[in-house]
Amino acid sequence: MSLEQFKNRNVGTQRYTMLDLGKDPQTPWCKVRQVIRRTFKGDLLVGLWVTMREMFNALFRGNMATLKYPYEKLPISPRYRAIHDMLRLLESGHYRCIGCGLCEKICISNCITMDTRYDENQRKEVSEYTINFGRCIFCGYCAEVCPELAIVHGARYENASEQRASFSLFEDMLTPIDKLNLQKEYPGFGAVSPDADENIKQTPLAY
Amino acid sequence: MSLHNSIKMKQEISVTIDGKVYQSTFGKTILEIARENNIYIPTMCYLTKVKPIASCRMCIVNVEGVEGAILSCQEKATDGAVITTQNHTLNKERQNIMKLYNVNHPLECGVCDKSGECDLQNKTMEFNVATQPFTVREQSRPVKKWGYVSYDPALCIMCEKCVRVSTEITGDEALSIKVGGYASEIINLKQSNNYSSLGAAAAVCPVGALVDTKFKYTSNAWELEKIPSSCPHCGSGCQMYYEVKHDIIYRVTNNAEFTTLCGAGRYGFDYANKNVSKNQKAFTQAVEAIKNAQSILFAPQITNEEALILQKIKEKTGAKLICGEAKAYQNFMQAYSEITGKQLYSGSIENISKSKVIIILGTRINNDAPIVKYHINMASKWHSARVAYMHPLEDIEMKNIVTQFIKYEPQSEEGVVALLVSMLLHEVEIPNYVKTFLDDLDIGYLSAETNVGEEELETLRKSMMKKESKSLIIGSDLYAHPRAKEIAKILALVEKYTDFNVVCIPPAGNAMGVSLICDLDDEASGNSVGYNVEADFVLSALNDSKKDNHYLDMPALNQQEGTLTTNDRRVVPINVSQPYGGYVLNDIANALGIEARYTIEYTKSLPKERGFQSIEFDALPDYFDRLGEAYRGYHLKECNVSIYEKLEEVATLDGFDGAVLYHCNPVEQFSAFTNVGEALHQEAFLLGSPQFAVATKLNDGDSISYTIDNVKFKRMFKIDTSLKGTIALNPTYDMGLSTPLVSSYRFSRVEIQKTGSNDE
Repeated sequence: MSLEQFKNRNVGTQRYTMLDLGKDPQTPWCKVRQVIRRTFKGDLLVGLWVTMREMFNALFRGNMATLKYPYEKLPISPRYRAIHDMLRLLESGHYRCIGCGLCEKICISNCITMDTRYDENQRKEVSEYTINFGRCIFCGYCAEVCPELAIVHGARYENASEQRASFSLFEDMLTPIDKLNLQKEYPGFGAVSPDADENIKQTPLAY
Repeated sequence: MSLHNSIKMKQEISVTIDGKVYQSTFGKTILEIARENNIYIPTMCYLTKVKPIASCRMCIVNVEGVEGAILSCQEKATDGAVITTQNHTLNKERQNIMKLYNVNHPLECGVCDKSGECDLQNKTMEFNVATQPFTVREQSRPVKKWGYVSYDPALCIMCEKCVRVSTEITGDEALSIKVGGYASEIINLKQSNNYSSLGAAAAVCPVGALVDTKFKYTSNAWELEKIPSSCPHCGSGCQMYYEVKHDIIYRVTNNAEFTTLCGAGRYGFDYANKNVSKNQKAFTQAVEAIKNAQSILFAPQITNEEALILQKIKEKTGAKLICGEAKAYQNFMQAYSEITGKQLYSGSIENISKSKVIIILGTRINNDAPIVKYHINMASKWHSARVAYMHPLEDIEMKNIVTQFIKYEPQSEEGVVALLVSMLLHEVEIPNYVKTFLDDLDIGYLSAETNVGEEELETLRKSMMKKESKSLIIGSDLYAHPRAKEIAKILALVEKYTDFNVVCIPPAGNAMGVSLICDLDDEASGNSVGYNVEADFVLSALNDSKKDNHYLDMPALNQQEGTLTTNDRRVVPINVSQPYGGYVLNDIANALGIEARYTIEYTKSLPKERGFQSIEFDALPDYFDRLGEAYRGYHLKECNVSIYEKLEEVATLDGFDGAVLYHCNPVEQFSAFTNVGEALHQEAFLLGSPQFAVATKLNDGDSISYTIDNVKFKRMFKIDTSLKGTIALNPTYDMGLSTPLVSSYRFSRVEIQKTGSNDE
């Protein structure tokens, strides 16, 4: 391709339609006349009509279009990825986390830190678990990798804080034991698929 | 690996493996030849450092002309053998073996410590076993805590590696198999002893069944950064890795396929001098103190480079350098070399494990150098070696490997050595001066005074007859002996005129390195500065002995780079595993005008006339090759020294009577540093037999005090029924900065003062 061809930006067939916009005012007097004509035309009321209708609906028909945030909030998608929740087992109430460390490993912003220890019941116990929300990018990998559906994303999206990096402890994210009946499964990344029951395979251990 | 085959036949053979012809020597197993040539044969139970276990059957191969599969790990290759390592049937067999290993194996990889470095995990993936197709009714199998290690029978695959390490290598013989089909499990027969050497057994566990109790469930293997280093506690300088996360050492591991680490090395890692910042004022004081010091005392737990810095300081300021244990060793080796003409002994630790006769003299070897004891144990288990243990005290831990215990009186070592050497040089061609010396010996007198019967030595001589590869292990009782030089000269005759593999175990830490690098003095005088030793001004890495005044922090050996000299005459590197923010010895040297940017700049200038090589620290290798050959640092070059062949007559023997103390630390303790860490920390007791208690009128639990080498000991007396005679074991590891001061002859008669009794 030669340079001339390359520079030719008139590609395709030229099929422009010219709009009939009338003529621009030429003399000063014409300009004054245009201003006066536009000022006293009823178009202003056409616009205000929408506002007044909404005001009427809001005041007298109880049809408010805005929310009184933070007293009111919009429902958000259950798959929204905000501050993490740590879930509990529904039957025993024990937290689900087994301390496998996969979330810590997969975290691409290195914001999860955990310590584990050998507890009295010969189980691996999570002795320390923090997420640095100053670093977290809410990518959802931790929830996806978690083999126990223990760490999930919740709906708490207000994470403004006095400090740039605010930490969240395990206990803060854990479902309060008295609200265990309100605990919801997370349908986002890493959750069991709706047809999980059909795909489940019995191991020979289930004798 | 040649460990198992010290077979003399070096007949050349050629074998065909998977269609290719390979040359090798007769005596090697098929697996060994395959590994030499980088051919992969999967194994589960094979452990290079022990004899083939042959429990997993993963290593099966086909040999042409032989029906069925044979185990490549234990079958020696014959000339002309045609071997197939991979085919469909073999793979199917191996896959079936993996399926059986996975029967009821708990699906708890998520929490298992071994996950990420688990042989079972790897091989299950490798052989594509995606499900657990078989099962049996599970039984209740609780986790067992055995002190340093814990055992989970549910995870155990019964490969027997741990049992073999416990019997063939460490020799504690604690682990055994309880046979019972599916209910088989590993049992600990000596649970009450809480052997730290079981850590070596846990290290070879391919699954998460046998793990360190302290480490269990604290971190995933893949989170830990492996920092290669060498263990600084005794003179063995074993290869090890510090496994570190967030600047905390979680555990110590080693290349367990080829080497072994004792309990002190494995669990005594937590001795770093933490949270140190630069204290300008103390530093200025320290520089002043060193400038004015007439003596610099130091503990042998330092690197070669630091020893060289101290030597340079001495050359600059003229201060005396005092390191009791290293000085004694230096004197001993100097006298020794006057006969042999070589700077150091010529034996090696590895050759001990290949010996058929081993004589141990002047050391409680299980406590002084566990790694050497492991090698003696290997010789005993692999070659049924005759082990003669010559010491005033019998050691119950050595009972199962010692074939002859020869007891002698403390301080009569010169006589014992003379008797032993005259027996060993019997029928050996020797020059006249040795002949005169031996002829002049009054055997009857020596025998009577030392308590070593002529018939005992005769038994030893007979048991040695027609045996090849013999070892003589010399320990630190002799180095600080009043007649050490004469003893050394007599013992040197063994190296010079017989084919014994002679090893003189260094007494502590890097004593060998210090004795080669520093020009040491005998007695301290005037103002003193101590490096990890009590003195007027103290430089110390022992964080339990912090003082406000006349004190400057120093980095511990896991916070420094440098090299150590090992009892295998090797110079091995150590690396930094813990952060350190304070001043180091090199900073003080710089302030005195001995300029070097980093301590490791001295690595290449270690004295060449002493066998060190001019190699940069960063160029020192630290790895094992596929066959287990160690490439760690370098070997000291053999240095010739001038010969002065003159032997002095054996002096009148002046034996000890009555109650005697013997400086001896427990197995896991070597110095104040091993005691700092939480894992090994233990209270020190004076341990004596019931006879000792009677002789000294002490009761179990009495508080006592006594003074040795101007160090005042205050501790409790405990009766240990496994001991005999009137010699008590006095540990020194708990004395902190005073520990290195106790460096005189290991047996001592002391006045014991009772300061309190049990029933009060």
